[in-house]
Formats: sequence, structure tokens, C-alpha cells
Amino acid sequence: MKKFWALLLTVAMTLTMLVGCGGGSGEGTEAGGIDTSKTVKMGILISDATSAEALAFQNYYREYIGKQYNVELIYSDVLVDAAGEKSAVDTMITNNCKAIISFSSFDRAAQIQQCQDAGVYYAIATGTLTEEEYETYKGYEYYVGAIGPSLDVEFQTGYDMAKHYLDQGKTNFAIFGGAIPYYTEMHIYRAAGMLTAMVEAGGEGANYKGAADAGAIIGQIFADGGVDVTSIGNINIVGYVGGYDMTDAWWGAVGQMTGTAGLEVILAVGNGSDFFGTGIANTDIEIASVDAYAETYGEAMKGDSLHYLAGKFSASIGPIFVATYRAALGDPVRTAEGNALALSQGYWIATSADEFDTYYSVDSSIESPAYTKDVLDTLLTASYDDFAKFVGAYSFEEIQAMK
Amino acid sequence: MGKANIKKYVLNLAPAFGLVALFVAFLVLGTWKDINVAYGLKSILNQSIVVAVVATGAIFIYTLGSFDISLGASTAVSALIGAMVYNRTESIWVMLFVCIGVAVFVGLFNSVLASVFNLPVFVTTIAMLSFLNALVLLLININGTGSEIAIPAPAVVPYNTVEFKMVLLIGFFLLCVFIFSFTKIGRKQKFQGGNPLCAKLSGISEKKMAIIAFVMSGIGVGLGAFLSIIYAPTLTKNTASSVGMDVIIAIVFGGMPVSGGARSKIYAAMIGAFSMTILGQLMVMFNLNSGIGQMVKAVIFLLVVFLATSDQRGKLLPR
Amino acid sequence: MKTGNNNILKRIIGTLAIPGIALVIALLVCSNQGVILFETQGNWILFLRATASVMLTTFALSLNLNSGRFDFSIGSIALVSSVISATICINAGLPTPAMLFISIVAGGVLGLCSGLVYVLIKLPPIIVSLGVALFYEGLAFAITDGYGVSFVANQELTSFTNSPWNYVGVIVVALIVFIFILDYTKFGYEYKALVSGQKVAVNTGINEVKNAVGCYAISGALMGVVGFLSATNSGTVQMALNFGSIGTMFTAFLPMFIGGFIGRFCNEKIGYLLGAMTTALMSLTYARLLVDSSVQQIITAVVLVLFLIYLNNENKVIELVMIKNRLKKK
Repeated sequence: MKKFWALLLTVAMTLTMLVGCGGGSGEGTEAGGIDTSKTVKMGILISDATSAEALAFQNYYREYIGKQYNVELIYSDVLVDAAGEKSAVDTMITNNCKAIISFSSFDRAAQIQQCQDAGVYYAIATGTLTEEEYETYKGYEYYVGAIGPSLDVEFQTGYDMAKHYLDQGKTNFAIFGGAIPYYTEMHIYRAAGMLTAMVEAGGEGANYKGAADAGAIIGQIFADGGVDVTSIGNINIVGYVGGYDMTDAWWGAVGQMTGTAGLEVILAVGNGSDFFGTGIANTDIEIASVDAYAETYGEAMKGDSLHYLAGKFSASIGPIFVATYRAALGDPVRTAEGNALALSQGYWIATSADEFDTYYSVDSSIESPAYTKDVLDTLLTASYDDFAKFVGAYSFEEIQAMK
Repeated sequence: MGKANIKKYVLNLAPAFGLVALFVAFLVLGTWKDINVAYGLKSILNQSIVVAVVATGAIFIYTLGSFDISLGASTAVSALIGAMVYNRTESIWVMLFVCIGVAVFVGLFNSVLASVFNLPVFVTTIAMLSFLNALVLLLININGTGSEIAIPAPAVVPYNTVEFKMVLLIGFFLLCVFIFSFTKIGRKQKFQGGNPLCAKLSGISEKKMAIIAFVMSGIGVGLGAFLSIIYAPTLTKNTASSVGMDVIIAIVFGGMPVSGGARSKIYAAMIGAFSMTILGQLMVMFNLNSGIGQMVKAVIFLLVVFLATSDQRGKLLPR
Repeated sequence: MKTGNNNILKRIIGTLAIPGIALVIALLVCSNQGVILFETQGNWILFLRATASVMLTTFALSLNLNSGRFDFSIGSIALVSSVISATICINAGLPTPAMLFISIVAGGVLGLCSGLVYVLIKLPPIIVSLGVALFYEGLAFAITDGYGVSFVANQELTSFTNSPWNYVGVIVVALIVFIFILDYTKFGYEYKALVSGQKVAVNTGINEVKNAVGCYAISGALMGVVGFLSATNSGTVQMALNFGSIGTMFTAFLPMFIGGFIGRFCNEKIGYLLGAMTTALMSLTYARLLVDSSVQQIITAVVLVLFLIYLNNENKVIELVMIKNRLKKK
């Protein structure tokens, strides 16, 4: 019988531990016409707990937003599939969350529907819906909307990255395809942007496997699930690695790629320096990545392991928070037609360690981040047009000017 | 009833008490934290049912003293093929039978491979895990619709109800209880797991027992795959990826000895699956970050299993 | 004398047959595709790094698995030990040998803790290792706030990957130390006694608890080196949660079984090395030919199953061949 009581005691002790870990939230005030005195519970769906981008976003919500606003943010476990998403939304609804902000995109349509059915506001913090999806869900009362890089912006990011080097006269590139083998759209669009820039710079008649325009190139990558080692006019793709297998064979392919004769630049659709950084040591090869502003990338830039970064700034998820917060307090932002938000944002581009440091010092600050509370508070009462204008002014300089 | 017997009886039921304690904690703390308890109960069912069904079938394998590490991958493959068949036939029932058929086939393949070629079961399941994981990627690639295989959400809505799921869960559970506790098969399985040599000398066919265990497990996996689809009809490369390890955790958490044999309990999987889900809900309630939360979960897991099996320790270290 | 020579020849053939066949197949497949298997130093580095890493993992896995102790936690030990060593070395500006040393010590301590938990709570090792794996993954995450560790720009710590001889050194030293511990010490004799008969060994006075804890500590130290090799290769330590670290363990099964087979003809530990070389050859071939990862997984699974079928039915296969030969003669 002793053991039984010991079991109960264990459970009780554990629960005490759990109780001790509970967090509090800030005091409420009156802002504009909105009553912010009541704590709003919000759920945050996470599908990645380890990438620089995910951690920077979480840091902004946990260390700044969660402390500045009268909210209780509940984080999901790391979600890896649509069933996990659905379970997490169920859990948030169970916890009486008034709204959910999602960083997970395995089945967005299902999430929106689930929240609509439960009367819980739902917002997408990274990426946007496809046009077809937006048309379906834009009128849903509980769908707040999406603010993040659209697929056009992703395409442009890849295009600008490749063009940056093509303008310098570089001709031999390798591409790291990240999640292209898993058909992740944003990675496919970034790669398509790179290839399109190469087609344009490759001289007359240049094409990628017969495809010469953006649409055809996107289709080709979708069909292949990767990028081919080939020539695009007088531009050469001398190496390609995709996926995140991390097996010996995968690392072997990574090593081979960095060792390719004549290679000048590695264009990564995601994080490149973590995988190729050691391989390019003591060479003239440059690496360009798309990710976020993390300390390690600054060190990589100083250490000549990273040379170009298209990075999301952590505070970029501030406006979607305000939109969701407003909705939960009964004052949602809608377009003139009464539809949900679909606003696009872009990246901050750093091409030197100094530039990186300038951006990073603001981005990583939890006292005065890019979007401070004062700046975000202007959105609490903003009209749709003002809101859209605010989001559209996402460059570093524009944001600094707002403070 | 002697004091020793009472102790044995209580310890035997310790995982069940654990589940009750967790459930009470969920209700009490949930009320204190102002959660929607009624919705939470539905959510717990939804989040436990796949692991509960797969793990209940897997008890037959564990009873023999073996374990199958490929159950998650098998669930994923069954679900993917089931969804592909649905998209061609538009019949939910054909999908159900295909899910079960594929899972039973994989189970039979495992057991035949193990018994015909005299291979240790766990080794064949390790190879099968690698093979099935690769098959998941190939199926998604072959399907040609990008990163997923999905069936239309409206098709599953009528079946994604508590009532339908409860019928499936209870029906399968009762079938397993009947076979495990009220037929010769269950007794032979326990005998086989407890003392393979004696069982063999008594005329029990080791191969036959393995095949039955893998068929029962296959049915559980197939039902789990079907339930996965009706809960979330968009399937990706990570679908059911956590089921494999969750099944092992649930079975052990529910008080099942990994050595199998006479102490095997058919209800262990059900208790374990629901306990783990409720524990997860409590973690969310207190917003523990991923790292600390996982550490707390690990400690609770070891403590509960330690207490529940405290009468099973001998002089030698267990293997 | 003739029999003696035959015996030696048989041993040499038995020892080298599997890696030899693997090498011939790899060379043939590559030449068919117009690719040279070992074209650059980078190819050698990949081959030797994979050999070292897989061999050490195989040692770590087999040390406990031979005693019936299934250990899911070895990958998580590699993870945490590399987090600890890399963090200390980055902050203190220590050189690569220090990182290797700290990784070994950290791995040993983590393994020791895992072993102590096992002998204290006396649960089946598979259960303990599940809990420990979860705990260590969570610990690595908590230590780094989820960020992992990155030192791609630290040319001192990543310089280990520049020379193939570094990996040769790791392989040779680890092999000698492992053979010494298991074949020439009291600990090793007791270990073997416990492997062949747990009850009898304990009744003869062998301290099983001490031996088991020692096995976990050694296994942990070996995984510390694996963590070091992985971290210095990429310059990063990526986080894993929810059993994301157990994949490391699965790389060791095929070489372990190959090593077991080769162990009939020579020291089993050399068998593990040759098994690791065989799988490293497969990895190099996959890399050279850019084989799709799902195809790689299927080939590896099929090879594992076919090899095990042969291993467990060797007598039947030999009988079958002999019967066929007899029939042909008739």
C-alpha cells in the first residue's frame, strides 16, 4: 500500500512542480477604444523549435510581447504533421484560448475550419495562403488573416540573391535545396527565383532544362523534386544538394559539393552556413542564406562562412499579433470588403558583418526591438489601410523611422 | 486475502490508479486554470485513440517477449495507401479494409520473415522500419501531388465523431480482451512469452503464435491508420512518425512488462495511452518549454514505471 | 602444416570477404556510372569519418546489447556531450584536443549516470534508456535554449575535418583501447562471463552492478567521441526532441551483425571495424552517385535482411549448395 501512496505522492509532487512553472502576464490598460484590462489567452502553434528563425520569433513573443501586453501565451509542442496540428488546436481550445497564432502549415485549411467551428480567432504568422485558399476562407469570421512573405516575395528573395552574385560576374553556382525534396513551396519558389535570375543573365536562349520563364521553372522544380546540375547559357550550376538527411551519405554529398572545382557561390534556399561553412574554410567560395538574424550567423559572417543573408526580423510577427489581439478583444481588422488580412512582408538583406550587426542589435533586443510596444500600439486603432501601410513599410530604415 | 496478495493486487492496479490520479489532476487543475473540461475530454480521446488502438494490438507481440519498432511507420504506410485507394474509389469502407489489409500484410511479412528465416523479431522490425520509412517518401513522391496525400475533408467529417471512434475503440478492445483473456490463444501467448522452452515442449507452435500476434497487431495498426485519416485527412512524410515510440511508452507506462509472459495485461496499452495524453495536457496547461517539459515527462515516466513494477525486482539486473 | 595454412587462409578470406565484396560492388557500380569512388581527399575523409563514427557507435551499442541491454539513449549522449564540449571550448577558447577530451569525459559521465539509474531503479534497460533519451534530449535543449551550438566560423575547432589522418588516429586508438579493455582486463573477463551466463557469473562473485555501470560509462565515452566527430564535421550541434536522437543507434545494427559474422574469423572488435568500413563504403557510394535518400534506406534495409537471413540459415544454405553439387556430379 505504501507504494500506492508513493505513486500518488509522486504525481502530487510533479503537479506541484508544474504549478511552480506557471507564468503570469502584464497588467491591462485602456488603449484607444479597446478594453485591454482583461488577460487574453492565446495559443501559439509551433512546428519548429530549433531553427534560428523559429527561435528568434519565439524569443520576441516570450520575452517581449508576452511581457508588454496583457496576454497569456500558450505554446504547443513541436508539431510535425497535420494530426499534431489538429490536436494542438484542440488543446488550445480546451485551454479556452480566444485566439491562435500559427507557425505550422501542414494543413492550414483544416486549422482555419477547426477554429471557425470552435469560435476561436486564427491567424497565420509566417507565409500566406494560396490565392485559392484565401478566396475560400477570406470571409470566415474567425479567420484573422496572414502576414508574412508571400510566394512572390519568396521568389523575389531567391532572384535578388542570385542577381547579387551574377552582377559581380560570378558564373559557377551550387544550390542547396533545403526542403525542396519534401515539396516545401517557399523553398521551391526561392530556388525558382535563383534559376530565373540565371536564365536572364545566361545570355540569349538560356534556359533551365528547357524552361525559360518563372512559371515553367517552378513547374520543373515541382516535377523533379530538386534542381539539376546543368548549364543555363553561360551560367553553370555545378552542384546541388537537397534535404536534411544528416546521414553520412548526405554529409558526403555536402562535402563533395563544396569541393567542386570552379565553384564560386553556394546559394541556399534556407540556412547554408551551418552545413557548408566548414567546407568552404580557406577557400574563396561564398555562401548566401535565407533565414533569420541569429547570433551564430553574425559570427559566421565575421568568420567568412556566410556572405549574404536574407533574414526575417523577429519582430515581423508583431503586426499579426496585434491583429489577432484586436480580434480577440472584439475589434478585428478587416479589409473594406470585410475580408481577412493577406499582407506580405519581406526580408532584411545583410551583405557584410557590419550590416548584420546593425540589424542584429535591433532585432535581438528585448528592451527595444524593431517593433516596440509604442510602435505596435498605433495599430490597435488603425484602419485597414493604415495597417497595410504599416506592414508594407518593413525595411530596416522605415521601421527605425517609426520609433 | 493475505497482506501480500493485497499488495500484489494494488501494485498490479498502480498504473490504473495513476491514470485516475492524472485524470483527477486534469479536472481539478483544469477547473482552477479555467479550461474547457468537456472539450478537453473529447480532445484527450482524439489524441489518445490512435496510440491506444495500435498499442492494444501490439500487446500480443509484447506478450511474446518481442517488440516491434516499426509500428509507427507501418501505420503511416497503411494510411497513405488507404488514402490513395480512397481517392480512386471514394469509399471510406474500402479505405478501412485497405488500411487493415496493408497493416496485416506488413505484420505477416514481419512474422513470416522472422519465423521462416529464424530471425530475431526485433531485428526484422528494425529493417522494416527503415524500409517502410523509405516507402512513405516513395509513396508521396509517386502520388505526384507535392508533399502530401490528402483526401477531401468533408469525406471524413461524418466519421470524425466521438461516438464512431468510441465504437471502434471499444469494439477492438473487447475483441482483444476476448482473445487475450478468454481463449486458448491468449493463454498460449503468455505461456510462450513466459517460458518459450516449456511452451515448445508442450506443443505450442512458436511460429503460429508469432503469426497470430502480428495479425492482431496489424489489425490495430490498420485501425490506427484509418483513425489517423479520419482525424486529419492530410498525410505527409511525418504522419504517425511519433506513433512508434509512443506505443512503446504507452505500453510500458500502462504496466506491461517488456519481458511479456504471464504478467502481460491487455488493458495496459489503453491505460498508458490515455495517461500519456493527459500528462501532455497538463504540461501544456503549465506552458513548460519543450526542453524542460521533456525532462519532466522523462522523470515522471521512469518514476511511475518504477513504482508500478516495484514487486518485480530480483537479485539480478533485468535484461 | 597444410591444414594450418588452410586455416589461416580461411580466416583471412572470412575476415575480408564482406568488406572486399562491398568494395568490388562499389567500384563496379561507380565505374559503370563513370565515377571514381575515391577521387579526392574529401572522399577519403568522408569514408574514414563514417568508418570512425559508425565503428564507435557499434562498439557502444554492442557493449550493452551483447548483454541483452537495449540502449535507445546512445544518440542523446552524443548530443549532450558535444553540446557541453563545444560550449566550453567556444567560451574558453580551448583547442580541438580539449574538445575531444571534454566530449569523452562528458559522454562517460552521462553514460555513468544512465548506468546508475539502471542499476538503482532496476527497470529493464529498454525502459530506462527511453526515459534517459528523453531526459538528455530535453537537457541539451534546455542548456542551449533550443539554439543548439554553432561554431562554423571557428577554424580551430573545425580543423579536425581537414586531415584524413585525424580519423585514422581515432579509429586506431579507439580500437586498441576497446580491445585492451575487453580482452586484457579483469573488467573485460567479467564482462564476457556475464554475457555468456548472467546467473552463473553473479554466483561466482562477479559484481554485475559495477560491470554494468562500467559498460554504460564506456559506451557513453565512445558516444562522446561520436558527438565530437559529428560536431566538428558540421561546426554545429543541432537539437533533437521527442526521440529525434535515436536514429544514430540504427546506423550500428548492420555493422554489428557483419562484425558478429567476421568475429568468427578474427577478433570481433576488428569485425566491427570492418563492418563499419562496409557501411561507410555504402555511404560513400551513395554520396558519389547522389542516390536518393529513400532508395538508400531501402537498399540498406534489404541488405540487412538478406545478410541476417544468410547468417541465421547459413547451415541450410551450405547444405543446399552441397546437395546441388552432388546432384550435378551424378
